[in-house]
Parts: sequence; C-alpha cells; structure tokens
Amino acid sequence: MMSQLRLSFLLPLLAFTALALVGAVALYATLSGSRDPAQLPSVLVNKSAPRTSLANLMPNDAGDNMVQLTAFKGQPLLVNFFASWCAPCRAEAPALEMLSKRVAILGIAYKDRGEDTNSFLEQYGNPFRAVGMDTDGRMGIEWGVYGVPETYLLDANGVVKLRHAGPLTRGVIDATIMPALEALGSW
Amino acid sequence: MVILPRMRNLMLVGILPLGLLLVSLVPNTIVTTAANAITAEEMLANPELEERARNLSKQLRCLVCQNQSIDDSDADLARDLRREVRSQIAAGDSDEAIMDQLQQKYGDYVLLNPPLDLATMFLWLAPFAFMLLGGVIVLMARRQSGTESINELDATERAKIEKMLASLNGRNE
Repeated sequence: MMSQLRLSFLLPLLAFTALALVGAVALYATLSGSRDPAQLPSVLVNKSAPRTSLANLMPNDAGDNMVQLTAFKGQPLLVNFFASWCAPCRAEAPALEMLSKRVAILGIAYKDRGEDTNSFLEQYGNPFRAVGMDTDGRMGIEWGVYGVPETYLLDANGVVKLRHAGPLTRGVIDATIMPALEALGSW
Repeated sequence: MVILPRMRNLMLVGILPLGLLLVSLVPNTIVTTAANAITAEEMLANPELEERARNLSKQLRCLVCQNQSIDDSDADLARDLRREVRSQIAAGDSDEAIMDQLQQKYGDYVLLNPPLDLATMFLWLAPFAFMLLGGVIVLMARRQSGTESINELDATERAKIEKMLASLNGRNE
C-alpha cells in the first residue's frame, strides 16, 4: 500500500516536471533566437515561383510592355517586392544597390502608382533590371507576400531558394543571402 | 465513502484537464462576435455566394494580425484576401479549392483551424492524453483510499455505542 500511495503522489509530479521541461526548452529556443516567431517560413521555398507577368514600369524601346519572370531564367535572380510608400524599403535601398552588382534583381512594385514608384527610384536609386507593377497586390498574394519589403532568391530554373520578409540589412545579407548565393555558385 | 484531503487534491488534478477541454470546445464564434470589417462594396450581389464568402473568410487567418480572421480584420492584406476569395467564388471555384489554393500560397498558417497531421498530432491529442492521465490518477487515488475508508461499525464499537445509549436512556427516566 505504501508503494501505491507514493506512485500516485509521484505521477502528477513527474507529469508536471516533464511538461515544465518541454516548456522551458521551447521558451529557451525562442529567446535565444534559434526560432524567431516573427519569421514565418515561406511555403514557396524549393518550389517553382508562381507564373509572373506584370505591366512594365519602364517599357523599353522594343515596345515590351510586360515584365515576364521567365525572361530571367538561366541565372540566379532576386525578386524584391517594394513600394514607394514603404519606409523599410528606403532603408534597404543601399543593400539592394550593393547586391545588384552581383546578381540580377527584379523589382515588383506592390500596390503602388507608377509615378510614385518612378520618383522613389529616382530618389533612392534603381537597382532593378526591370520593375513590374503589381498595382492591386494580386501578384503579392500569389507569392504569399505578407507585406513589403520581401525578397526571394530564385535559382537558374526559377525555383525559390530563400525568402526574406523585412528589409535587407548587412546582417541578413551576410547570414542568409550570401551563403545562398554562394550555394548557387554566383557569388 | 470518505474523501481524504489528499484524494481531493488528486481529483482536482483529474478535473482540471477535463475543464480545459470543455472550455476549448466552446465554439469560438461566441467569443468573436466583434464588428465586421467588411464594407458594402466588397460584397457579392448573390446572397448565397456572399454567405459562402463570409463563411470562408471566418476560417482564414489575417496573416499580418495573427489572431483575427480576415472577416474580422481591417488590415489591407485581409481586405485583399477577402477580395481574392470573392473573385474565386464568382469564378465558380469550390470552397475546398479556394482554401486549398490559399494554403499552398501561405501555408497552414493561413488556416485558423490547424489541420490534423503528423506535425500537429500532439496539439490535437494532448487534451485526450491529459484526460486519460487525470482519470488514471483519480482511479489510483480511489483504490488507495478504499483501504482506509470505514463504512461499518465493528462489534466492539457497536457494543460501546449501545452501552452509551442505554446509560443515556437510564438517566432520562
């Protein structure tokens, strides 16, 4: 009888200890930054980028009024969702400028007006090979965009390798973009 | 049956998960009857289709506000997703196809009800596991207290009480 009494006393205690341990590990992982709750993984990673065809902000001499994602196949590509009304997009402009020397960048102006986008690019520089206009934000939904800025890295076959939500900083470029570009053999 | 103090504590341990489970079963519509974010011009003309759109919107997370449905939220992205749902309904897509498509773009996170799969197994089954654990604890506590509970008077106790009652009667006469 004594052993039974002790078991029924110990069981809840053991169960609680186990639960508390699991909670403590989860809390520690969150606080130590190995799992950032604000960074949601994109379901697009390792899948083909959505078919993308958008009105061209800067129609060229050939009368090419549409920007096609397929035109960039054969090389790694950064796709950057931005907007003139987005303050963090201004902050990441120098980072994009730097990256544009090493990799082609396609800009997608998210819920923006052409004239605003143009003056934004005049003021903060234009790191983009082309800019497509996603005026109503529909293309953003196709890509699973939460908000601007968001940046995707595509390999030569148009498969998404990486997604970064939020502005590109020196730290982000060094920690994630650069290693991913190296893995694609283009840094 | 005599309920010993220790056993009462153990029973509480068993009842707590049960109570939590019951609370979790209360439909969340009771909690979230807040004002709707939808505007008149967003609505579909056909009330039947609009009803479907509203029903789907209530099951979809507003991704930038995290704990509101797109039906409840005023956020830009929520409005865009409502428009997306409605345009797909108008195009004749089924509810399942629409949910499936959004899930492919935004992942499970867009669903307010997490699907039952390997990754969410613990989430769905944990309440039942806790109920089971609580039940086991209650059973163990009952078995243990059964040996200590005393329901019947034994012969010496009975004799003692009868003697006391007899002396009481004698005094009253």
